[in-house]
Amino acid sequence: MVERSQQDVWRLTPWLAVILCLGNFVLMAFDARSVGGQRVIRVWTQTAADFVQSPVTTVTSAVSGYFGSIASLRSAQDENSALKQRIQELEVELKAKEDLSAENARLAQLLELKEKSKYKVLTARIIGRDPSVFFDSSIINRGSLDGVKLNMPVVTNGGLLGRVTAVGPLTSQVDLITRDKSGVGAVIGEISGSNALGVVVGSSKREVLEMRYVSGSVEVEVGQIVYTTGQDGIYPAGLKVGEIIQIESGSATTPHKIVIRPSAGIDTMQEVGVLLYEPGAKAEFEQQIAKPQKGK
Amino acid sequence: MNQLKITIALIIAVLLQWTMRNVAEPMAYVDFPLIIVVYAALQRDAVKAILFGAFSGIAVDALSGGLLGANGFSKTLIAYAVSELARRVYMDNLLLRIPVIAGACLLDDLVYFGLHRLLGQEPAGNIVATVSYSIIGTTIAGTFIYLILDYFLSERVRTSRRREMFPQRRQSRRRNPIRLSK
Repeated sequence: MVERSQQDVWRLTPWLAVILCLGNFVLMAFDARSVGGQRVIRVWTQTAADFVQSPVTTVTSAVSGYFGSIASLRSAQDENSALKQRIQELEVELKAKEDLSAENARLAQLLELKEKSKYKVLTARIIGRDPSVFFDSSIINRGSLDGVKLNMPVVTNGGLLGRVTAVGPLTSQVDLITRDKSGVGAVIGEISGSNALGVVVGSSKREVLEMRYVSGSVEVEVGQIVYTTGQDGIYPAGLKVGEIIQIESGSATTPHKIVIRPSAGIDTMQEVGVLLYEPGAKAEFEQQIAKPQKGK
Repeated sequence: MNQLKITIALIIAVLLQWTMRNVAEPMAYVDFPLIIVVYAALQRDAVKAILFGAFSGIAVDALSGGLLGANGFSKTLIAYAVSELARRVYMDNLLLRIPVIAGACLLDDLVYFGLHRLLGQEPAGNIVATVSYSIIGTTIAGTFIYLILDYFLSERVRTSRRREMFPQRRQSRRRNPIRLSK
């Protein structure tokens, strides 16, 4: 083997840095350009990460549950030791039962959603959150082996949460509707009785959404509910998106500026449902119209 | 042996980055792979630091909603910058490393944010608050992690500690009687 001198290494370093930076930049540019596609590297990394994320989530929730139970016992300090012991045991038992009943309630809500929904719902658990602090995607414990496909909508009992953006065999990545790049075709009020159509997108504030392109001549009110229209080719019609909390009224020529609070509890979600819904052939046809072939 | 240990530390850092946010939300503000990349760069092993930066960045990006390669780009850049700095300035002191990790974190976040804006993506949240929390979290965690890494990796620290425990007898030179006479 040829041994390099320290000087050779230092001479090589800037070139290596430039090549790696260029490689990363090309990767980014491709990733930014792709619409609706997924990268193989994401899929395989997700699959590998599942072997770490799932056990860590299970263990930490058990440990935090245990310490949470112990922490809630401070008020029993003044009582005698025998009673204290008994109370501790009971509290731990109670806490475990409370956790179970809370989980039961959440699952019951999902079951209710499953029964109410026109589409088949696959329940899933969130096992990982976005490792970057600037984004909010999540990893769920269902993948292509369970029937999950790219762009399938993800919901909670409250309403629409996001869509699947990468699918591995065991896990999937979900991009939330609060992300600025997520556009949801939406209508204010019931789709049959309203013509206040627009697009719901994420905003710089994580907890609210913006509804754009709603004609200024249409009357809208705070408190009205926003539903999906199904015209975006991703989400089915009639899913609850959120509630209007603020309106900056537009005019005949300028659209309203509408702020919406998402109805799905995004910060507290633990279990979600994946709608096994695929848009029909019409959407594909429309996508082809939107991308005319060159030279024709 | 140290090469292997630091590689294992990087793998652990990536695994922590993948899992810790789901355990406790504030842990999202600690950039574990960056801490290890800066540590490798401070060891004046530029090639390894740059490769660490690129691969750990892509590993984090693969599970993130952000652009694939953004973290790889920023961490490669940081690894190169810090290794160049470490080549010119003596930085084996822990106190000197604190501003380096804070500066690296700031630069990393700004490059990451800037790249997303450049390619038409809008990262969520207030940039100033996010970067500030990130610097605080990463610097505090980095300081402790460097202490641990120094303990396990640095031969010099270990030998000096051993010397403190078992001090050698001081050896005085014998005076040369001939020289004394002069």
